[in-house]
Amino acid sequence: MNKSELINTLAESRDIHADEASAVVNSFIDSIKQALVDGDRVEIRGFGSFKVKGYKGYTGRNPKSGEVVNVAPKRLPFFRPGKELKEFLNK
Amino acid sequence: MSGKTLTKAEIVDYIYEKTEKNRAEVKVLVDNLLEIMKQAIKRDNSLLISGFGKFDAYDKRARKGRNPQTSDSIVLPPRKVVVFRLSRKFRAELNPDEEL
Repeated sequence: MNKSELINTLAESRDIHADEASAVVNSFIDSIKQALVDGDRVEIRGFGSFKVKGYKGYTGRNPKSGEVVNVAPKRLPFFRPGKELKEFLNK
Repeated sequence: MSGKTLTKAEIVDYIYEKTEKNRAEVKVLVDNLLEIMKQAIKRDNSLLISGFGKFDAYDKRARKGRNPQTSDSIVLPPRKVVVFRLSRKFRAELNPDEEL
């Protein structure tokens, strides 16, 4: 499923206009993204939690060419599925 | 890192401020949305949210494990696990100085 299908399914399930469903889905995603960009954790009971981990930069090598490359420090988000989601997927 | 945690209640508040719906309605919509997301991950093994990322569910085979406390050998059953892969766009937003 992709985002527009998600929006349409939500609109149908609650009998609301697709524009309204779209505003809900987009604000939902924006709030999560904003929190993670700010370095905050996100916890959605029953679904899962997100947190951002920071990685230091390092000097690496391109394994093919042997060329030295600088890998910049980076921040990556991690998702941990909640208990309910895990159980739901396996039932 | 500010050490804060965004919860469902705060997500509901955020959406409430962006839409013309009342709080109770927004809460129902968010619960519905999460339910649809869960169903989609289960049914399609994949939920792609452009600009954010993708939830991928995949099957893990049964494997032998051990209870670390008693060191009894046990068989862990096959199960489905879900991972989140972030989109390039979101990665760039988290790392504004990074060159890709």
